Amino acid sequence: MVSFNKRLMAGLAAVAALSMGLAGCGSQSNTGTSEGDSSDGGVVNITYMHRLPDNDGMVLVNDIVAKWNKEHPDIQVKATKFDGKASEMIKKLETDVKSGEAPDLAQVGYAELPEVFTKGMLQDVTQYAEQYKNDFASGPYSLVQVDGKAYGLPQDTGPLVYFYNKAEFEKLGITEVPQSASDFIAAAKKAAAAGKYIMSYQPDEAGNMISGLAGASGGWYKVKDNAWVVNTETDGSKAVADFYQQLLDAKAVTTNPRWDPTFDASIKNGELIGTVAAAWEAPLFMTSSGGTGSGEWQVAQLGDWFGNAGKTGPDGGSAVAVLKNSKHPKEAMEFLDWFNTQISDLVSQGLVPAATTEDAKTPDDWSTFFGGQDIMSEFKTANNNMGDFTYMPGFSAVAAKMNETAAKASDGSGKVADIFSEAQTTSVDTLKNLGLSVAE
Amino acid sequence: MSTVNVDSKEARAAARARKKADKIRDQHANDLPRSMQPSALVKTVTVVVLVAALIYFLFPIYWAIIASTKTPSEMTGSNGLWFAVGITDLPGAIAKNYSTLLGWTRGQFWRWVLNSLIYSGVSALIGTLVAVMAGYATAKFNFRGKNIAIGVIMGCMLMPAALLTIPQYSIFHAVHLTNTMLSIIIPCCVSPFGFFLGRVYAQTSVPNELLEAARIDGASEARIFFTIVLRILAPAMVTIFLFLFVATWNNFLLPLMMVSSDTLKPVTLGLYGMVSLATFTDRGALMMGALLGVLPVIVLFLGLQRYWQAGLAAGAVKG
Amino acid sequence: MTATTQPAKTGVAKRAAKPKRSDAARRENRTGWAFMAPFAILFALVFILPIVWAIYSSFFRQVTVGGGAYGGGELVNKFVGLQNFQYVITSGAFWAGVGRVVIYTLIQVPIMIIAALALAMLVDSYIVKHITAFRLGYFLPYAIPGVVASIIWVYLYNGQISPIVKGLAALGIKVNFFADNVVLGSMANITTWTFTGYNMLIFLAALQAIPHDLYEAARIDGANGFQIAMKIKLPNVRAAALLAMLLSIVGTIQLFNEPQVMTISDPSISKSYTPMMMALNTSQGTLTPGGDGPASAVAIVMALIAGVLAVAYTLVERKVNAE
Repeated sequence: MVSFNKRLMAGLAAVAALSMGLAGCGSQSNTGTSEGDSSDGGVVNITYMHRLPDNDGMVLVNDIVAKWNKEHPDIQVKATKFDGKASEMIKKLETDVKSGEAPDLAQVGYAELPEVFTKGMLQDVTQYAEQYKNDFASGPYSLVQVDGKAYGLPQDTGPLVYFYNKAEFEKLGITEVPQSASDFIAAAKKAAAAGKYIMSYQPDEAGNMISGLAGASGGWYKVKDNAWVVNTETDGSKAVADFYQQLLDAKAVTTNPRWDPTFDASIKNGELIGTVAAAWEAPLFMTSSGGTGSGEWQVAQLGDWFGNAGKTGPDGGSAVAVLKNSKHPKEAMEFLDWFNTQISDLVSQGLVPAATTEDAKTPDDWSTFFGGQDIMSEFKTANNNMGDFTYMPGFSAVAAKMNETAAKASDGSGKVADIFSEAQTTSVDTLKNLGLSVAE
Repeated sequence: MSTVNVDSKEARAAARARKKADKIRDQHANDLPRSMQPSALVKTVTVVVLVAALIYFLFPIYWAIIASTKTPSEMTGSNGLWFAVGITDLPGAIAKNYSTLLGWTRGQFWRWVLNSLIYSGVSALIGTLVAVMAGYATAKFNFRGKNIAIGVIMGCMLMPAALLTIPQYSIFHAVHLTNTMLSIIIPCCVSPFGFFLGRVYAQTSVPNELLEAARIDGASEARIFFTIVLRILAPAMVTIFLFLFVATWNNFLLPLMMVSSDTLKPVTLGLYGMVSLATFTDRGALMMGALLGVLPVIVLFLGLQRYWQAGLAAGAVKG
Repeated sequence: MTATTQPAKTGVAKRAAKPKRSDAARRENRTGWAFMAPFAILFALVFILPIVWAIYSSFFRQVTVGGGAYGGGELVNKFVGLQNFQYVITSGAFWAGVGRVVIYTLIQVPIMIIAALALAMLVDSYIVKHITAFRLGYFLPYAIPGVVASIIWVYLYNGQISPIVKGLAALGIKVNFFADNVVLGSMANITTWTFTGYNMLIFLAALQAIPHDLYEAARIDGANGFQIAMKIKLPNVRAAALLAMLLSIVGTIQLFNEPQVMTISDPSISKSYTPMMMALNTSQGTLTPGGDGPASAVAIVMALIAGVLAVAYTLVERKVNAE
């Protein structure tokens, strides 16, 4: 079937080429790069596609790569930035892999890695990965593995932590972050009475954050005898649902979507003074706040709010994977290990690096905002406290459904618990539609 | 276009026809209906309606101009109707967002604007010409398969163009044209809509008598088209050109798939990149990018003004 | 396309059984195709081939066959017959999306076309001088990239930020542009804002093409400005109006940018809110079943529905025309 498909494409291509010739606009301005031919006179050429921010004031990816290229004349790397969404990038890479012209390396989120593997886009690089294993935290390293085989190296992590404004907390008479669910909810009600909120409910992040929070106390997806055992309605999930439902019912939580300007406004106007957030959100809080509460914010570990017993879960974070067609996986991995251990450069891009080769230092402006706290070490603690959470292939469809359902809970037309029941049916459907077996 | 071979008989015939069209147009250019004196009430109501509409269309743009000078926190925390900083600090605020914009586009912003101009200009030029030619062909000639062709084009208009991007990408990949300028220009210069506009205007405003007269004078079909028909269709062509130009200018899905080299990207890709990264909150810089991107379109629009007046030859022969 | 048509033509012409076509007809055929050819060739490459590809792939699904929990790391195209179409036709989400765009189209398109026509007539009435300013002002929104336009409006709809909502609230009028029964109207406003000016330009081009001696004659007959507008201008822009209407219908059926961007502020807008969103999200695997096969089926069913609507519209229009 595959070869028939190829033949069809070749046929279409021939017709296309013919029409091109007739149109008389054949081959001028053919400035394409020669990605297909990646080796040239002993020099190995590696291509790397990413979607890192590369924002003003950051160390640009191209500048980091230039350092490598200078030191390694025999392995030349070319980085390209993809200016679109993650799902669009995967779609493009999928097409590229089919036609054999994909880059050697590409950024892939942990939640999408199994999906990208299932789509046949990855190359087994276990033999090269082993030697770099000790450069990275073990949790993230295992997230780049599928079925015990490695497909790249981890780049950054997104452990969930708690951001809060300590000074505002003290003003409300909350001396420390409440550690139990009931204490927390009581404190949230107290704060809400004063027009302040110590938690946010973010419907557009449900797929990432709520799954991470529920996952802190145990995973949803397990493999048994080559079949998926799906249970998204775990005790952890129920605890999360109960926690947020109580807060929503008491109107003691903000419901602004995370990426809507109203969320930024709620930090800026001092209304939102505490929330669960992924580690990589620290610099974003700084820009959103416009200085409100600078020096007063702190980072704390999650309390035991979801039956999580001190554990936390993942929200976001990416690996860089070696794609199927790469002719030079060894060199690609050599570069990748170097790139993913450029800790201070990656920190400048707003990442919490997965590498453990040196201590990531908290940038000065971060620690100014967070009251002089060494927040990087808090993030590291969180990283080491991360529960095991395996994502299933096709998780992006589940996450999308969770967001939609979460929005209904925020306006009262649904319940938080619905998120998890929808996740269950969508998970099972997705796996079945991919032709994978599900143990019921 | 018309002065290549002045000696030939058809050239002279075409020149005559053109002169005639010009003369008629000049007569009509000053011929404003002065006798239609509107009452004061009608005039007031008209002005009020037009100005109200203008406010509706321009207010969001005014807001965007103000927003383009703001930092993320000023966007949400300050009065939306006015600058967040004093007039003296304004250049600094603008410079800051401008540098964010340049930083985001990795210093390639103006290069990308130039790319966009090339993509939009070339594809709109080719697209307008082929669309008008095809529209004219179906409006004024009988040929085999004409109705099928019209039906197919009409039918394809119903197919969501964005979904064709993936197959287009595969096809261009197969002929090794991805990551080239052509991979954007070729898809963008085909517009069923342009074809239909060309057809409708050719049907309604190119008089058969004029064509017959030119043929009797011995002008060739090509010459008739390029010297007479194109002039009559000028307003329609301006409309098609603007449509294609803006459509190409605003397209991001196609370049997103087709090009990966930084030097080939159009400016919308940079803007879309900002939007698509959820963590990007510097929307002031985004607004500035969008507004700077609108400038060439404004210049183009103003530059095309005079062609709007060129359509008065429509009744040339009848009159 | 031309390459195959031309010889066929001469072949037919030579056949004695059929009446011999005149030289003039042959020449006309040739000339017609010569003018048609450049567009036809590009069209085949950019539209026909990809559509053939889409139809072909709509009979396949991308599934794993390698076994194991992860399917062996390879997706293959499995021929599934009409299963993708069956999925689309029985999908409640799809029909809900179709319902939304149909309601959207019924409300938004007439408002926009009438507004554009009215503005074009007023601008063309010579009552007001400096029409360039109005023309440019109305057209400008069209030049703002669709995604950016939607972002601007999302701000202007936002209760905590928008000067409009705040201003209305100060006057005692509370509006929530994201409320369940309002959100579709909020989207329609974005579309109207963006495209009215452009449609006005189409009408203006049609109005400019009306021979001025018609006005002259009407004036001699004693018609006033309003009568001229109704009796001469309106019939003459009819063709353009019907075309603009048809294209707007096709355009709104493909509604995508506005709901996509508004998801930022209203995450309850689902991935299958409109058929177009459903198609793209299916293709990118954020809906299940995902992949090019089901996505193509969504697009094809949607195109067929659009086709039926367009044909229905044309028939109704003809009937009205005939009366």
